[in-house]
Amino acid sequence: MSHSQVLTIYKKEMLDTIRDRRTLISMIAVPLLAIPLLLLVMSRFVSSTEKKAGDEAVTIAVRNVRRLPELLIALSQAGFKLASRDDLEAAIAKKEIAAGVEPVVLPGAGRIEVRVYSDLTRRSSGVADVRIRAALARFKENTMKLRLTELGQPDSVINPFTVKSVNLAPEKKMAGMFWGGMMGYCVVLLMFTGGMYPAIDMTAGEKERRTLEVVLSSPASRGAIILGKVLAATTAVLVTAILAMVSLIVSFRFADFGIQVGKAAGRVPLDATGIALVFVALVPMAVLAASLMVAIALLAKSFKEAQSYLTPLVMASIFPLLVGMLPGLQLTPVLALIPLFNVCQLIKEIFLGEYSHLAFAITMASNIVYAGLAFFAAVRVFSKESVLFRT
Amino acid sequence: MIQVQALTKTFHDSKRGAVHAVDHISFEVRSGEIFGLLGPNGAGKTTTLRMLATVMSPSEGTAILNGHDILKEPEAVRSSIGFLSADMGLYLRLSAREVLKFFGELNGMRGAPLGERIEEIFSLLNMSGFGDTKIDSLSTGMRQRVAVARALVHDPPILILDEPASGLDVPTAHVIEEFILKARDSGKAVLFSTHVMEEAEYLCDRIAVIHEGTVKIVGTMEDLRAATGKQRLREIFLALLGIENAARRVHES
Repeated sequence: MSHSQVLTIYKKEMLDTIRDRRTLISMIAVPLLAIPLLLLVMSRFVSSTEKKAGDEAVTIAVRNVRRLPELLIALSQAGFKLASRDDLEAAIAKKEIAAGVEPVVLPGAGRIEVRVYSDLTRRSSGVADVRIRAALARFKENTMKLRLTELGQPDSVINPFTVKSVNLAPEKKMAGMFWGGMMGYCVVLLMFTGGMYPAIDMTAGEKERRTLEVVLSSPASRGAIILGKVLAATTAVLVTAILAMVSLIVSFRFADFGIQVGKAAGRVPLDATGIALVFVALVPMAVLAASLMVAIALLAKSFKEAQSYLTPLVMASIFPLLVGMLPGLQLTPVLALIPLFNVCQLIKEIFLGEYSHLAFAITMASNIVYAGLAFFAAVRVFSKESVLFRT
Repeated sequence: MIQVQALTKTFHDSKRGAVHAVDHISFEVRSGEIFGLLGPNGAGKTTTLRMLATVMSPSEGTAILNGHDILKEPEAVRSSIGFLSADMGLYLRLSAREVLKFFGELNGMRGAPLGERIEEIFSLLNMSGFGDTKIDSLSTGMRQRVAVARALVHDPPILILDEPASGLDVPTAHVIEEFILKARDSGKAVLFSTHVMEEAEYLCDRIAVIHEGTVKIVGTMEDLRAATGKQRLREIFLALLGIENAARRVHES
């Protein structure tokens, strides 16, 4: 096998790929345009929904207020607009109010239970429920303090301590959790979608256009041809991955998902070493994805048939990736053997700054083996006459 | 230049069992000769040419092309041939120049000599006007010239042409015919398959009639006429296939 023939095949495949509109859409337009657009639309939608829910959550009604008259002042001070409705259930159902409040005297002890009525399938009603309970908790605390003062007792009699949670995770680590959880999943999934069309075009597409036979009758060996094709598909997969990462980072900088997300998204917790590690982790994954797609697409006799073969592969790749999104999982040596999941989890841990060298090494080694097996499968398929000349 | 020795290809079909697509065929093609493989669809012509181009391996037998055995030196065989079919097999998103550069490089040509060779072919086939246009935008006739140019870029001593003019209109088919005649005159061995009688009669120095994977006869038109007692190739062909006799028997019964 001659290196120059591999290079010639590779250059031709790349030239053919970048001139194919379908490939350009999946490889470049989806990561560079679709991701920012989707995130922008989503962020606009989320923020407008939140704002609408917040605005609507202000309007509530109180029934039987004479049982606890101070309630009105407490709720007014908390910023609620009090509507006059007696049939709370009907008013909530008609969306006239977000939630309703009713003091109820419990039988026996004469204690009052303040009931909060809401419809938790409605965002505004849910927000009102949370806000009302917070306002009631403050009201209850103030009432207790007042009564203790009247009795000449300090607050600490019934409130011996307060609780405050302190998040020890530095901002960098919080950002790592945000980015890591999503980055591996999105990037690896897009590697499959981005590499799919080039892989099909240079295999089943060539069979359909009857160009494959002509290349096979050139002095290039089958090994050189398939290696050139897999290298070109790998390049397409890696380009998609890099564009997806850049696009995700830039998009989150400009999208508005609220303060919490904005704080985490505002800082990408990777230095040059981290970026290099992520890239290195992605390379065997890219070879694996490219070889697998080339091998499978080769079995098809037409572009359409190859698409129907590869779509289930892309769908199947979602499951191990979804597991990788679960929080709290650690990349143990055994888990590092699971393809796709391992790289997704490894990227998460690199972002968190918590990866172990052993897990990194096992992930790399196992993915190199899987990539080798997938490449071997592509070579085997490419050597079968029954596959190449299937009509 | 081409010696085909008992070349055989057997496929295994789940319904029909072993199918002999090509069954121990032998013939020779000399330099400066146009040799036609004439046969109906499914006769085994394409399979034979694919084996000679080493894109398919024979089940039995072998062939020597330009002194290279297809089994032992397939890459040297492929360096010696230019392959062309009616589908043309062109990369529509590339220009003619890019296609020629690609196939030239696969044949070990590089740099200035390759550039000069491409210009030479452009001028030979009158392609300079569309050499840098994407093939997608070219007419069928122009595309056919690109396909011819691609087969010639490395100046191979042997041309293997699989029904090269099938389905083409008369002017475009004429481009191919001219190309075949010029190739012969420049000393190349031209092996081409066809099922078009006029084409075979007009172009071929010698013809092999192939049917159901076997060679029925090999020879010049005179040889074929003498062997069958028929004048026109169409009649010769039908007689060799046994179709004419069968039709007569049906008529007389």
